[in-house]
Amino acid sequence: MLSQKHLQKIELLSDTVLYPESVAFVRRMIQKEKCNPLPTTQVNGLLNIALTLNYDNVRNFAEHQRERNWPSNKRDIKTFYTHLEKELIRLEQRLDTEFALTKDEHGRPVSSEDERELLGRLTREYIQHLLAENMLAEAEIKEQRRFQQGPYRR
Amino acid sequence: MNKEMQIILEVNNQADVFYQDAVKLGDHAGSVLKRSRSQLTGLETIAESTSKISDVFDYIKKQTARNSSWRQAHKDSPNEGFGVRLKKYLETNLKESMGIICKKPQLEIGDKSEEDQRERRHIHLLLMRQFIRQMVVEYEFQVNLGDTLNPQNTQGKDAGRNQGNSKRGL
Repeated sequence: MLSQKHLQKIELLSDTVLYPESVAFVRRMIQKEKCNPLPTTQVNGLLNIALTLNYDNVRNFAEHQRERNWPSNKRDIKTFYTHLEKELIRLEQRLDTEFALTKDEHGRPVSSEDERELLGRLTREYIQHLLAENMLAEAEIKEQRRFQQGPYRR
Repeated sequence: MNKEMQIILEVNNQADVFYQDAVKLGDHAGSVLKRSRSQLTGLETIAESTSKISDVFDYIKKQTARNSSWRQAHKDSPNEGFGVRLKKYLETNLKESMGIICKKPQLEIGDKSEEDQRERRHIHLLLMRQFIRQMVVEYEFQVNLGDTLNPQNTQGKDAGRNQGNSKRGL
């Protein structure tokens, strides 16, 4: 079972590391990778998986979505999941080193179950921030397009 | 004076400094959200109950995405909708206010250790709560003032409510 200290650390990481990184991820996908924001159905699917707090489920879901044979007009989704998968792996790699979450307050290693739960919680935080930014980006892009395609545009 | 009391005092001092900005955002909210009180009540509830500042930002983003009224500009802010303006203020301006508080000689909160970072976030959240409270008060004032000056705004709603009550035998 995770200690109060671990839960507090996750909250701190959520605000100071995961939030800015998820915002940067969405901006990178839109501006650099020229992707459209993730559509609502995908947002809901990903969020539901993230809320289970099971890291392996999220990894499997991302891998499954990446491997799907998407039609050409939905290639952005494949690109999104390809990059998301890399971010998840990076998150996993930082659990011990950067985040220093794999030891308890007495310096003893946490159980592998706790490690998976820590990853699940970090992933949930990351994805929640990412999806909020994605929703905002989608609304802003739609609005820009509407103005460009307004009834008075020649 | 203990540290917690000192923080509360400094947060209140900063609240006096940003009061006018909260009024401006409250006016913006009043003009674009009209009488959709629940949207700001939701924001206030999130801010008061969470321990993460990012939860408040996520809420604002989601509201801005879902409601076109949150994306409407105002005379004070012709190029920026309410949601983005509010998020920017909470994220940037109040972070600066937090920095000012942390530099106070009585507090001297650094930003290296986990404990310091936790304290900084806590102060930022306290500032956000204060700001949102002030903004919501101004919003309520503006909306109620509008209702008083133009009673037709509420007549339909009251009539509907009374009708509903009579149907339920109240």
